[in-house]
Amino acid sequence: MKRAALILLAGLLLSTAAFSGFYYFGTASCRAMMSEPQPELAWLKKEFKLSDTEVARITRLHEAYLPQCAQRCTRIAELNDKLEQLLSQASSVTPEIQSVLSERAKVRADCEAEMLNHFLEVSRMMPPQQGQRYLQWVEQQTCLGGQGMEARHHSMEGHHH
Amino acid sequence: MKPNPESKNDPALEDVLKQWVVDAPLPPRFQERVWERIAGAEAKPETTLGFWALLRRLVEMNLPRPQFAYSYVAILLLLGVVSGAWAAQRESSRLNATLGSRYVQSVDPYQKVGLNQ
Repeated sequence: MKRAALILLAGLLLSTAAFSGFYYFGTASCRAMMSEPQPELAWLKKEFKLSDTEVARITRLHEAYLPQCAQRCTRIAELNDKLEQLLSQASSVTPEIQSVLSERAKVRADCEAEMLNHFLEVSRMMPPQQGQRYLQWVEQQTCLGGQGMEARHHSMEGHHH
Repeated sequence: MKPNPESKNDPALEDVLKQWVVDAPLPPRFQERVWERIAGAEAKPETTLGFWALLRRLVEMNLPRPQFAYSYVAILLLLGVVSGAWAAQRESSRLNATLGSRYVQSVDPYQKVGLNQ
C-alpha cells in the first residue's frame, strides 16, 4: 500500500509541476509586457514586431498625441454637458442647441482627423508591411471604421425586423 | 504428501484396512448440524465491494507493477503539460486582447467613457 501511495503521489506532483511550469513559461512574455511602464506600447512592439528604435519614435509620437487628445476629449465632454442642459429645458431645436451640435460635430471631426493623422504617422514609423497591417487594424478597432451611429441604426433596424 | 505407489498393492495393508472398523460415535445431532452449516453458508450474502474500496484494491494491486506505474505517471505528466500549455495559451490571448483594447482606448476618444453620445 505504501508503495502504491508513493507512486500515486509522485504522479500527482509531476502533473502539477508540469502544469505550473508550462503555464509559467507560456505566460512569461505577457506578464513581462504587463509590468512595463506603458504596457500598451509594449504590446504594440510585440504585435507589430518593432525594433527598439521604432518603438522609441512611436513612444514619442504617442506621448505628444495624448495631451492634445485629452484636450479635445475634455472639450467634447463639456459640449455634451451643455447640450444635455439645453435639451432638458427645450421643447424644440433652438439656435443655441443647433450651435452646440455644430461645434461638437466640428470638434469631433477635428478629433478624428488628428487621430487619423496620428495613426498614419505611427504607421510610417513601422516597416511598410507592418504599417499597413497596423492601419487596417486601427481602422477596424476605432471610430474610423464608422461603427458609431450607423451601426446602432443598423442594429435597431435588425430588431424591428 | 506424495502417495506411496508401493502401498497400493500391499496385501498386508489391504487386510488391515478391511478389518478396520470405526467405532467412535458421531457427536449428537451431527447430521442436523452439517445441514445447518450448509444452509448458513448458502444464506450468507456475498460481500460486495464499494466503489472506493474497489478502486483502492485495484490501485493496491496494480500500481506497484512497473508497467502500470510508468503508464500512470506518463499519462498524468502528459495531462499536466497539455493543460498547462492550453491554460497559458488562453491567458496569453486574453492579456493580448486586453492590451490591444487598452492601446485603442488610449488613442480613440470615442472609446473613452461618456463621449460617444
